[in-house]
Amino acid sequence: MAEPPLTDLKDGNSDATETKTSKSPEISKTGSRNGSARSQKSHGSKKGRDFIPSPAVSAKDNPAADWRNMRRIIAEDPEWSLATVPLLVELCIKHIVDNFENNSKILNDLLQKHQNKVLEKISSDLPLKVTANLVDDEGFWKRCCNARWEICDVLDFGGNWKRMFFEKNLQEIIEHFVPETTDPIHLNETLALSANYVKRLEIRQLLPPVREAPKGPDFDDASDAGSDTGDEPECDHFNFTPVLSLLPNLEHLSLTYGVRDCGMNFEWQLFQFTARDCLQLAQSVAAHKHLQVFKLHRSKVDDDKVRVLISHILDHPGLIELDLSHNVIGDRGARAIGKFINNHSRLVRLNLCDNQIRGAGAQAIAHALTKNTTVEHLNLRLNRLGDDGGQAICRSMLKNSTLREINLGSNDMAEPTAAILSQVVMQNSTILSVDLSCNRLGPDGGKQLQEGMEENTTITTMDLRLTECGQESEYCINQILHRNQEAEREAKIKKIEAEAPPQKKIAEPQAAHRYKPRITHA
Amino acid sequence: MSSSGEEEEVGPSVDSNDKEERIAARRLRINKRIEALKRDPNDPGDSKEIKEELSKSRKQIEESRLRLTKLRKDGFELVSNIRVAGDARESIRRGDEEESKRLRRERLEQEAKSGAERFEEITKKWESALQKEVPQSLHEMLMQQKTSCDSMIDEKNKLINDFQLDLKNKDDLYVKDLKKMAEDVDLMIERMNEQIKNLKKAQREELEQDERAFVAERNELLEQQKKKWDERMTYRRDKEIEYMKNREKRVEEYEQMLQHLRVQDAEEYNMVKIRLETDVQILEQQLQQMRATYQLNQEKLEYNFQVLKKRDEENAITKAQQKRKITRMQDVLNGLRIKLTKQEKQYRDENSQLTEDYKRIAEQFRDLQKKSKHFMATDAKKFADVWCMNEEECKEILNSILQCDTVVHEQQLGLQWESPDLGFVENVGPLRIHEETKSGVSATQVLHEVMSQAGSQAIEEVGEEGGNDDKQRTNIFTKISAHTVKSVLELLCDESGFLVEKKLEKLLQPLEKDEQSLMKLDAIFTALGVETEEDIHKLTTYFMHLIERMERAAEENKKDEGTEKDELEKTSTEGVEDVDAEIQELTGGGVDDEPPREKTTKDSVHLIHPNEVLKALRAFVDDHKKPTKEKGHKSQFRIATLEYRDPSEDSEYWAKYTNTHSGVKERVWDGLVEGLEKYSECLQSRSNLINETDALRQQNAELRMLLHQYVNSKVNTELEIPPTRVLQLEMNPQY
Repeated sequence: MAEPPLTDLKDGNSDATETKTSKSPEISKTGSRNGSARSQKSHGSKKGRDFIPSPAVSAKDNPAADWRNMRRIIAEDPEWSLATVPLLVELCIKHIVDNFENNSKILNDLLQKHQNKVLEKISSDLPLKVTANLVDDEGFWKRCCNARWEICDVLDFGGNWKRMFFEKNLQEIIEHFVPETTDPIHLNETLALSANYVKRLEIRQLLPPVREAPKGPDFDDASDAGSDTGDEPECDHFNFTPVLSLLPNLEHLSLTYGVRDCGMNFEWQLFQFTARDCLQLAQSVAAHKHLQVFKLHRSKVDDDKVRVLISHILDHPGLIELDLSHNVIGDRGARAIGKFINNHSRLVRLNLCDNQIRGAGAQAIAHALTKNTTVEHLNLRLNRLGDDGGQAICRSMLKNSTLREINLGSNDMAEPTAAILSQVVMQNSTILSVDLSCNRLGPDGGKQLQEGMEENTTITTMDLRLTECGQESEYCINQILHRNQEAEREAKIKKIEAEAPPQKKIAEPQAAHRYKPRITHA
Repeated sequence: MSSSGEEEEVGPSVDSNDKEERIAARRLRINKRIEALKRDPNDPGDSKEIKEELSKSRKQIEESRLRLTKLRKDGFELVSNIRVAGDARESIRRGDEEESKRLRRERLEQEAKSGAERFEEITKKWESALQKEVPQSLHEMLMQQKTSCDSMIDEKNKLINDFQLDLKNKDDLYVKDLKKMAEDVDLMIERMNEQIKNLKKAQREELEQDERAFVAERNELLEQQKKKWDERMTYRRDKEIEYMKNREKRVEEYEQMLQHLRVQDAEEYNMVKIRLETDVQILEQQLQQMRATYQLNQEKLEYNFQVLKKRDEENAITKAQQKRKITRMQDVLNGLRIKLTKQEKQYRDENSQLTEDYKRIAEQFRDLQKKSKHFMATDAKKFADVWCMNEEECKEILNSILQCDTVVHEQQLGLQWESPDLGFVENVGPLRIHEETKSGVSATQVLHEVMSQAGSQAIEEVGEEGGNDDKQRTNIFTKISAHTVKSVLELLCDESGFLVEKKLEKLLQPLEKDEQSLMKLDAIFTALGVETEEDIHKLTTYFMHLIERMERAAEENKKDEGTEKDELEKTSTEGVEDVDAEIQELTGGGVDDEPPREKTTKDSVHLIHPNEVLKALRAFVDDHKKPTKEKGHKSQFRIATLEYRDPSEDSEYWAKYTNTHSGVKERVWDGLVEGLEKYSECLQSRSNLINETDALRQQNAELRMLLHQYVNSKVNTELEIPPTRVLQLEMNPQY
């Protein structure tokens, strides 16, 4: 209680000089008031209300209040407290907050606690220009995110709210960007500001340029631009070249050339991935050497486009994951991809789910797999590999020793593949997960697989749903899988224990402490 | 639809991963806690129970884990089933699509083919139509063409309609698919939610169960501990009560004892008090008496004190005098001390001087010895030379004499000459005296023999054989049997170790026993001055019994008297024989003491007791001190004279030369000399006469010559009367 009045007094004085330079006639009054204030104070202390700070200060703080009123208030209002009057610091902070947009540089000169207060109060609507490079506080960015989007899962962004804000912001802008219609200035500004914070770009739709927009989707962005810019037969999408060149930290790029949620407004034109688009994209991806993950789904990427893309990103130094799911890649495209993974890349994950790869393409990929030493996850779900392709892939797995997960679901495979796969399961000890769902393996194939699995101790997952391989073998395989899972779990626990022995030491006394008193108590 | 399905599929797996991690963490924590409990040192006795409980709780955990994993797996399957169903449907659709596409293509191709055929037909007809010139037929033809074209178009249109119908169907299908997709998504979401709910619930339940298990376990543990605690407490309480009872009992006992003691002590105290009081009275009386005596004594002492005072004064005076005297004496003492030191110094100087003198003299003596040795050598040489010369001379003379004798005998006397014994003539140089023959066998040799022989062979045999082999050996073994000697020596060796030097003993340690004793005896003999066989004998005799020693003493006296070796030998042998006889007597008489060792101790029986060895040795040394000393002197002298020569035979030797000429021969020679002298006188006179005639003859010749001279001289011519004439005249008268 002794300290605050002093500081108050000081603040008050400075404040007084500030506020009362214009009001000179009242200066004479303050002198007399000071005298009486002392008496007041003594009076107050006599009463035993030592909680009340000096009224002189309060009078100064509140220049509008009358001296006599003050006195009356003090005398009669027992609830009155100086605490109701905001501190100068708070006033200053409020001022700073109010004028933050104009004078934001002051933030760095403030004390940490004041800085925190300011950051708590500034509006989340402030232009990025002001805040982007200045504010690092997670709380502020969290507020921004929450104010803007309903669902915010920060875990998807590495627990970094600022990154989340920038990524989502940029994503939104790009998703709503209509080429040749939208003004790129805003985008460029945002890009410049968020260059340092964006690591991942997940574009779920790219709008085509509006030519006539007779049956265009009901997007406000798209509909308001009714110009006839689409005189070209090819309607190119957003060009990523400048964007990628401006984002040096980008590691993850996920694109979809198509319109989201078109529903009944479907039109082929909305889902056109032009050759130029492909070329531009391929060039920009090839130029961006830090990119690790590249995804391109639902974009009607056909063989030619895949070939263009692969030819550009051949020997890319950083690419670890390639996802070309839900496209229309055929055997030729698969051959290109095979070439890509045949020691022309460092891919770890390859996703070719839902394409039109048949036996020939699968053979190309299998051939590449026998020589490849990096790919660990391969997804070929929903293709038309058939038995030829399945057998080729399985044979390649006999030689490969890096592949850990493979998905061969819904590939129109049958018993012969199962026969080879049982051999694979017996010999290969690196593979951990096999998905064979929706293939008509038949009961014989199931039995063969079961025989193979009985020799295996590593596989923990094997999906055999809708394979018609017989309940008995499925049950047996599930038992083996369960056994393998348990073994793996124990190995993992052992590893954890081996890695963290000091924790035990810390935990021991705690436990002892917790249990001892109870025992003695009893 | 499938893409969204896939995305959804990822969601729960991440969730489940998370949960797994959480479970793992919790399990770890529980394990740690359990371990901590297990390691708790406060209750090691309950470890077994805890272990059982542990297994229970762990089982519970395991069970719940398994149940949860199963639940999760089932849930995942349930959710992903939709995806799988979609996939299956899609793949079937694709198959159908392919089929229908193929059909469509076939149909199109067929259509195209048929269309082309018709078109061909129509075009052909056009050609035939051109040939037709009848307008009606042409019209008919045209109409026909038109109908055929229409039919073709109709067909096409029909196809188009079909396809459009298909398209519409497809559109409917698309809408249906969209709906289906939305439904699927909804279903999936529903299922996921349900799953999440279920999982949450299940996990909560499991957690509760786990906790319940743990709580139960803990409660059991607590109960056990409490029970134990109570047991201990009751045990303790019983003990305490017992102890208390014991203590009370003891306290009572002690109190009784105390009371008893107190009564006893009071009685004692009273008795003692009475006695002490009487004592006090007696002592007071005595005190009075003592006081009286004290008074008396005091007076006496005062008197004495006076007397002593006086004496003290006197003493002080005398003390002063004495002090003065002391100082004086001190001065004298100092003076004497100085004198003493001076004297000491003087004597030291003198001593050093004397030692120097002694050294010098010793040097001189050594020089002298050297000189004397040299001179002796030269003397000996000279002696030998002189001897040789004389001998030669003698031999020459002898030879000449002998020749003369032969001549005399053979020529003058005409007798057969027989040569006398001339063996001694062969000797050249001074006569040699053979020491070996004279001095006895050395003591060490004897030692060796004795010691080496004693072990293996019977004594008497050895003696006989030795007697055959060597005279020397017989000497000793005839005197005293070898065994006796050996036993004596052994005794000596054992008892007189003090005579052996320590160093030697050390050196001897590694050797064999016989060797050792040999060397020891050697050393002892040198110490005792025993050198020859004789000495050993003497020594041995000392070790015999006292009576024998007496006899021996007499014999020794004889020995001392006897100068000749033979005599000594004889006497000693006699003595030995006596001893042997005695020994034999004694042994033959039967030594009752040691019948079993009769044979072996036959000779050693008569030896003195080991304790008396020292006495015997002393006696030996005393008796032989002088002779040994003389001997030592002699030996010293002998060293000086290099080698001792016995001149006794010299005269004999030389006498042999003279003896060659016996008295008869001399007389013969004397007679011969006489005759010859006479003969020589005769011859002398004859020679004198011859000489006279010769002189006269010479005189005549000389005179003749003179006369001739005178006659022939010129003077004669000158003279009136020449002498020649005269002479002739003179001569003539004569003749």
